[in-house]
Amino acid sequence: MAATRVEPRAREIFSTLEYGPVPESHACALAWLDTHDRLLGHYVNGKWQKPEHRNAASCQDPVTGENLATFLQAQEKDVGAAVQAARTAFESWSQLPGTTRAQYLTRLAKMIQKHLRLLWTLESLFTGRAVREIRDGDIPLAQQLLQYHAIQAHIQEEALADWEPMGVVGLILPPTFSFMDMMWRVCPALAVGCTVVALVPPSSPTPLLLAQLAGELSPFPGILNVLSGPTSLAPALVSWPGVQKVVFCGAVEEGRALRRSLAGKGATLGLALGTESLLLLTDSADVDSAVEGVVDAAWSDRSPGGLRLLIQESVWDEAVRRLQGRMGRLRSGRGLDGAVDMGTRGAAAHDLAQCYVREAQSQGGEVFQAGDIPSNNPFFPPTLISGLPPAAPCFQAEVPWPVVVAFPFRTAKEALALANGTPRGGSASVWSERLGQALELGYRLLAGTVWINAHGLQDPAVPIGGCKESGSSWHGGPDGLYEYLRPLGTPPQPPYFCESLNYDTFGLAVPSTLPAELEIGSSPEPPYGLFVGGRFQAPGARSSRPIQDSSGNLHGYVAEGGAKDIRGAVEAAHQAAPGWAVQSPASRASLLWALAAALERRTPALVSRLERQGAELKAARAEVELSVRRLRKWGAQVQAQGHTPQVAGLKGPVLRLREPLGVLAIVCPNEWPLLAFVSLLAPALAHGNAVVLVPSETCPLLALEVCQDMASLCPAGLVNVVTGDRDHLTRCLALHQDIQALWYFGSAQGSQFVEWASAGNLKPVWVNGGSLRAWDQQTEGAGPELGLRAARTKALWVPMGD
Amino acid sequence: SLCRALLSPPDLSWISRAQVNQPAVLRRAEQVQARQAVKKAWQAAWLLKAVTFIDLTTLSGDDTSSNVQRLCYKAKYPIREDLLKALNMHDKGITTAAVCVYPARVCDAVKALKAAGCDIPVASGETRGYGRCHPNPHGIGWEHLQKEIRQFRKASGDARVKTILATGELGSLTNVYKASLVAMMAGSDFIKTSTGKETVNATLPVAIVMLRAIRDFFWKTGTKVGFKPAGGIRTAKDALVWLSLVKEELGDEWLTPELFRIGASSLLSDIERQIYHHVTGRYAAYHDLPMS
Repeated sequence: MAATRVEPRAREIFSTLEYGPVPESHACALAWLDTHDRLLGHYVNGKWQKPEHRNAASCQDPVTGENLATFLQAQEKDVGAAVQAARTAFESWSQLPGTTRAQYLTRLAKMIQKHLRLLWTLESLFTGRAVREIRDGDIPLAQQLLQYHAIQAHIQEEALADWEPMGVVGLILPPTFSFMDMMWRVCPALAVGCTVVALVPPSSPTPLLLAQLAGELSPFPGILNVLSGPTSLAPALVSWPGVQKVVFCGAVEEGRALRRSLAGKGATLGLALGTESLLLLTDSADVDSAVEGVVDAAWSDRSPGGLRLLIQESVWDEAVRRLQGRMGRLRSGRGLDGAVDMGTRGAAAHDLAQCYVREAQSQGGEVFQAGDIPSNNPFFPPTLISGLPPAAPCFQAEVPWPVVVAFPFRTAKEALALANGTPRGGSASVWSERLGQALELGYRLLAGTVWINAHGLQDPAVPIGGCKESGSSWHGGPDGLYEYLRPLGTPPQPPYFCESLNYDTFGLAVPSTLPAELEIGSSPEPPYGLFVGGRFQAPGARSSRPIQDSSGNLHGYVAEGGAKDIRGAVEAAHQAAPGWAVQSPASRASLLWALAAALERRTPALVSRLERQGAELKAARAEVELSVRRLRKWGAQVQAQGHTPQVAGLKGPVLRLREPLGVLAIVCPNEWPLLAFVSLLAPALAHGNAVVLVPSETCPLLALEVCQDMASLCPAGLVNVVTGDRDHLTRCLALHQDIQALWYFGSAQGSQFVEWASAGNLKPVWVNGGSLRAWDQQTEGAGPELGLRAARTKALWVPMGD
Repeated sequence: SLCRALLSPPDLSWISRAQVNQPAVLRRAEQVQARQAVKKAWQAAWLLKAVTFIDLTTLSGDDTSSNVQRLCYKAKYPIREDLLKALNMHDKGITTAAVCVYPARVCDAVKALKAAGCDIPVASGETRGYGRCHPNPHGIGWEHLQKEIRQFRKASGDARVKTILATGELGSLTNVYKASLVAMMAGSDFIKTSTGKETVNATLPVAIVMLRAIRDFFWKTGTKVGFKPAGGIRTAKDALVWLSLVKEELGDEWLTPELFRIGASSLLSDIERQIYHHVTGRYAAYHDLPMS
């Protein structure tokens, strides 16, 4: 018989039946760090770069405080070199057939398969997250992501024929991110043919390792470049030509600052902000399962942030009792221990949670903490806060990890009001066994993802995004692909940044207008006023502006709109929006077709106005005719919206809903006074939005002409047209906090201002950067891009089973 | 304990309100399974504990006195003495919780156990007052089912009543929850998943629902009802999952042979193999360990 090893502790454990440590060996992670002499630089163009004279940031084990490695912080010229490498790689990478890119992504997935333990131990070692979640959750998902996007690349020429890759994508990640945040964005970008420069915090080696794995495979090593450095390098990143898109995920305030600092720089900005989630527990729910949902949402290392928990009054006691019982059984400890539920997120996350809890306590909240937690600093116990009065500042603030703030509600209606009453719109779950109630809540919650009787499910085929201040960028599914594509044949936008633009004074005052000479109008004038709330109203300023025709003569007077008129128009639009949003596609289509018919009847008047603006008869006729066609086209397309992605491992559908944005503000270009107006209006209405429009500044009369028909056809307030000084009206719209999206087609400076001002409520904006658009062309005037921008996606998960 | 549940009138509104969300329970079951709760010394101690929960079972048509005798000997000495010594556990009196045989073999078992000089209980279908209820509540209603179980309860006097739920035939997890409640309200001391002889037996989702019902019943009445999964539990790893499931859902108080049993036949030999490996650092050959 073999020699025996004596175990003294078994006796003791036999009587206590306690859990023991399940240590995960991280020798391979340390060995990998040793091959780099514990000094990590940047991975650029397929090579490790360790430039000299750079600031070094040392990174400690979040639990033991032991020094793990030193990271070199990038400087502007390192960023430049990385962007240059990505640009060079883009030239060949984007030209490859999709099938070749697909093969490459598949090979990368296989490569990851060979280094699983290295990946999960490295990630857990540095982030402190529970290795179980990384090993069983993140890594398999990373492989699925690569496979899903390989398939998308394979069928790209067929499925996305009208699109082309944007160019170099800059990816900026915050200090508290998991490498999955990177995978969700890198995979679609590479799949469609973009190349990536990722700026990661100098405390995460996993992205560097991934870049190394990718670089070793590819004949184009520059497709994925990773730099360690602070977020403050973002403006330097976009200042290099070729960077067409910047993607950021992180804290809301950082996102806001980034939005402001990138205004006018020419790169599109995709923001995914905040980490708070929401859980709605109704009285018909399976409470025990909902409690597990809360654990998934806040007290596991699956979740990124804290949770707002709404519990129906009648099950409050039962739910809180179960929650508290469950909290007592949670185990926290070193992430590399396979038996812990919660690791640590480092000192910063600890202090943030501590600060929030103290404040909540001082504002009247009751704090309950439990769980098997080591007492030393980086660990924070699972925390449940209740009894916080709605007026407390903590009520509105974002809930940090691992805190759950519970509120009672009486009816589903009240729950909706509470849930939608925050500036955040990320993810939410609804727990109810009543189908009707669950769907009602699922549809009406303002959030990017809603799970019914589940929380935190993810799949590469299902888009994840948000609304309101959670940002409007998407990852996963088709929406994730469009983030890195632009319509085929449209040139990349040149930068339109103007150093001297004064944000405080842009469009602040309206230049006063002098009374001009007498009107000489042949055709009957449209009614005078602003078209607001379904009728023509006198402007608040009680003044007018003269409109000249192409030969410099006075064509007519239009009302001079101002801040108060914009306010009124937005209010009117908000009143009309809910009714329009729930209209059936058929009735939306019939309204658009009725408008088309009305426009057609008005052809002679419209043509003669266009002629006075200098258009030739033939061109004028064509413009009117095309406008009519556009209305019909979007009317017909209303039906084709949303679809159901197939999800592996889930029984039941996931609905990809296309929901209206709400109130959409549109500033029309000066050129194509009728066609551009109609081309922008039609998709907005077709997708269920209420609209506030500023028509062509130089020739608003055509739009007002159309308003006469809208007065009789559209519900009051659905379309509001405010004429006046474009810069001034743009300022009012861009700074308005209750407008859900803004499209701007004007000057370069106006575009820059709109981007800067949108940081206020983080509304998605679409600007032309001062360049002209071919409104008469199919792609730019009526392409799928308009439809994509006119609605937002919501993923509604409906697991089934009995 | 006999009189307690009998006195309380059935609370049928509780039963009708009960809701179990099947997909969510399945996800929970997956999570529980994916965990490797214990390793090394902890694993060995947990496995030895698991031995004390086992109802060592043989329910084959060809059982004879000789293999029942062997089974009883194994129940008395479930783990090789030298392995227990190595773990310093030889004086803990580790035996299985009970022996389960067909009624016809009860005499053999009692005789064998007496010969071995131990008091391990013998369980069997009729002799110990087991009863099979109508497994289908759909046709007869929960109230009727409760009455039926109550009659078994009365007939068994002071004996302990264990109610087997034919969980595979109940149709839905909500019904499993309701049936568990009905069985407990009618005075069962133990509730048990369907046996290894049925097509669907001890699955984790079913167990989660039954354990939650036991906890809810305890919260409401203060009575602790026992739980016995049976069928399909064959490996040491399975046993660890079941232990940690009970620990998670009900707490340590339920981890005693009075409240938790595992019905199994081949589980014990796998546990012994794991203990062998833990002690010696080697994997055992079949002939290294005595058969049951």
